Amino acid sequence: MENLGALALILAFLLSVYAVAGSIIGAWKDRPFLVESARRSIYAIWALVTFASGLLVYGLLASDFRLTYVASNSNRDMSWNYKIAAWWGGQEGSLLLWSWILACYAAVVVFTNRNKFRKMFPYVVATIGGTQILFLLLNAFIASPFKLLSVNRGIAAVPDGQGLNPLLQHWAMQIHPPMLYLGYVGFVVPFAFAFASLITKQPGDGWIHTTRRWTLVTWLFQTIGIILGAGWAYSVLGWGGYWAWDPVENASLLPWITATAFLHSVMMQEKKGMMKVWNIALVSSTFFLCILGTALTRSGIVSSVHAFAQSPIGVYFFVFLGIGIGLVIFFILGRLDYLKSESQMESVVSRESSFLFNNLFLLASCFAVLWGTLFPVFSEALTGEKVSVDAPFFNRVNVPIGLALLFLTGIGPLIAWRRSSTDALRRNFLWPTVGMVITIAVLLAMGMRHFYALMSFGLCTFVTWTIISEFWKGAAAIRLKDGLSLPASFIELTHRNTRRYGGYLVHMGIVFMFIGFTGAAFNQNKTTETKIGEKFTIGRYEVLVKDIEEGDNSNYIWQNTTLGIWSDGNYLGDLQPERRLYKASRQASSEVTIRRRLNEDLYFNFASSSEDGKTAIVQAYVFPLVTWIWIGFWVVLFGTLICLVPNKIRPSGGSSESTLTGVREHAPVS
Amino acid sequence: MHRFRKILLGSILGIAMLAQNASLMMNPDVKRVGMKLACLCGACKNSVGDCPMIGCHYAVPAREQIDQMQKANMEDQAIVDKFIEQQGIKALVVPPAEGFNLAVWVMPGVMIFLGLMVIYFYIQRLRKPAATGTAHVSTHYNELAAKDLDKLD
Repeated sequence: MENLGALALILAFLLSVYAVAGSIIGAWKDRPFLVESARRSIYAIWALVTFASGLLVYGLLASDFRLTYVASNSNRDMSWNYKIAAWWGGQEGSLLLWSWILACYAAVVVFTNRNKFRKMFPYVVATIGGTQILFLLLNAFIASPFKLLSVNRGIAAVPDGQGLNPLLQHWAMQIHPPMLYLGYVGFVVPFAFAFASLITKQPGDGWIHTTRRWTLVTWLFQTIGIILGAGWAYSVLGWGGYWAWDPVENASLLPWITATAFLHSVMMQEKKGMMKVWNIALVSSTFFLCILGTALTRSGIVSSVHAFAQSPIGVYFFVFLGIGIGLVIFFILGRLDYLKSESQMESVVSRESSFLFNNLFLLASCFAVLWGTLFPVFSEALTGEKVSVDAPFFNRVNVPIGLALLFLTGIGPLIAWRRSSTDALRRNFLWPTVGMVITIAVLLAMGMRHFYALMSFGLCTFVTWTIISEFWKGAAAIRLKDGLSLPASFIELTHRNTRRYGGYLVHMGIVFMFIGFTGAAFNQNKTTETKIGEKFTIGRYEVLVKDIEEGDNSNYIWQNTTLGIWSDGNYLGDLQPERRLYKASRQASSEVTIRRRLNEDLYFNFASSSEDGKTAIVQAYVFPLVTWIWIGFWVVLFGTLICLVPNKIRPSGGSSESTLTGVREHAPVS
Repeated sequence: MHRFRKILLGSILGIAMLAQNASLMMNPDVKRVGMKLACLCGACKNSVGDCPMIGCHYAVPAREQIDQMQKANMEDQAIVDKFIEQQGIKALVVPPAEGFNLAVWVMPGVMIFLGLMVIYFYIQRLRKPAATGTAHVSTHYNELAAKDLDKLD
């Protein structure tokens, strides 16, 4: 079995080399047969990598402990779903998952575009194939998941495996890595189209129209992956944090930021034929940041709780990055004429400008995160001195940038394309600004003095007002004209321009998330040692330690405490946080309990008990508004799905659209 | 037998979790100094003052050390200096804004400034030349366009 798996990966690697070489030589020498055979080799790569992945999953399910990977990442008592999750629980398996997802994407791209883009498609295949070479090289020769356990040149097996890290034995961890990988890997496709378009100097913006939905879906996967990771950290790690600015967390955020910037700036190219170099740079940056993120997770360059291992594979990623970035810069510089802007700016006060500033602040945030993450490495290399750049740096730099972005989220829809008159600005900004000022005044009157929190809540009101008024004005016009009911008018309005109104919903979700982030300014925590039958307080809650119990099952030993909760004399119920010690891995984990409400979460982590079992050490937290982060995520998800629905009335698209159509579609409805 | 099993399980969990003195985590004086020091356990990006990991092999002894130094009447800065002496500058939660480390604070601001300059020049380069003598025509055109748009909507 292991030989077949290893052979499949070697063959897939060779076919990837063939796909790249065949595509480039075929296109260059005009050999359609070669191009076609290179294109079809993508299907063969998919079949081979799928076969190898299937063998690994079978090995995990069958507890084949002759395989080093299986012995290191699973054990017999793990349930079947966690055995499958062990596929991405370790270095080798997760690299294979990367390859498999890329192979799947490549097959879908090749199939769905089989009769399109005759000139540039060989370069799309070559770019995807080039990326596949990197991962299959690692899978086949450097970090093979089919390596056997051996003792003195003989194949060995252990009676049971070490098991999956207990922290990863959580439902979110079964979905979080694949989602993140679907995002990471998916950005290969828009990059491949952009790069191929650049190489072949394709007229028009065909690559953008082809990859628009793809980019959006990929962005959505990345968003889901990041939020699932945050949700997992919140409910598993036992300290209530959802974001710690860990290098690996940062690595997942970086391409998400540049992709978000791209999703905005690409509209400038679609509508106005502007920012072509910038868009190529953004989509390339997104792809390269995905590769960098993968390298950071696996090379041990930066220390992180998420990192797989200190391993030598980093050098392969950095060589790939060097070659890739060099090629992109070479082709951009060689094709500046082709990337010339088709339109002019008519006014600084325009939607175009707001996109420029949006991109500036997104990129500033991206740079700050990247800079803070890599600064310890630079510092050590240049001065020989190790430094720590921890959460206070990231928060101090990113909070004001985030607020600036929130402000732009509000003003973007209020400014028309081309230019906005002073009257229109006054009319559109008056009430949202009034709402913002009233919110800040009320919060000040209530005693809130946290500057950033005041600004954030004020801006959330501002943005919410602009979004609601956009929906309201549009729906009211439809209602008046077509005589529909108000809910039907909202649906009709959204269906007529799904991208615009879906985008507003995404913005609304981001506002909800900001509300949740802002709540962190008012977090409360307490660590107590409390005897059974005694009480402690946190915030407005009174907590009684009722009991401590322990037991065991085949997988772990557990100990929990029962906590009775009162607030203002009213009994709210019992909560039962638990600690576990997994037998196979000898690792402990927390099963926290959370009382979730819209205004605040009450969160308990049972840290330990005294030796006589009579005293519980409990970490108690109150997290105001944190639920709004998860609500915001669902709204973002819903809004993005709306964006993917085709418009009921399709506007005439492209940068050559008539001025009137362009104005009509994008000017604020007022 | 049941009691024995209970004690055994409790002990195993207790040892595994490295139970600590909870009161040290609540001590505001310890926390104040701890917030200036990085937790160097390698598994988190917290400070010694707010690292919530029970049994953290770095933050827990560091808090005890701070507590002892405070009991010996050491000033906050002297305690921080002691940690820097032991661990190097990486003991601080963020590097001091001096020398090469100044760059960590300055660079994001520099990048925003450069970005603003790029936007300024981009807008200048792509901006249409100012219309001369046709302003009234544009206004008239815009008004007509606005009326047409009203009809369309």
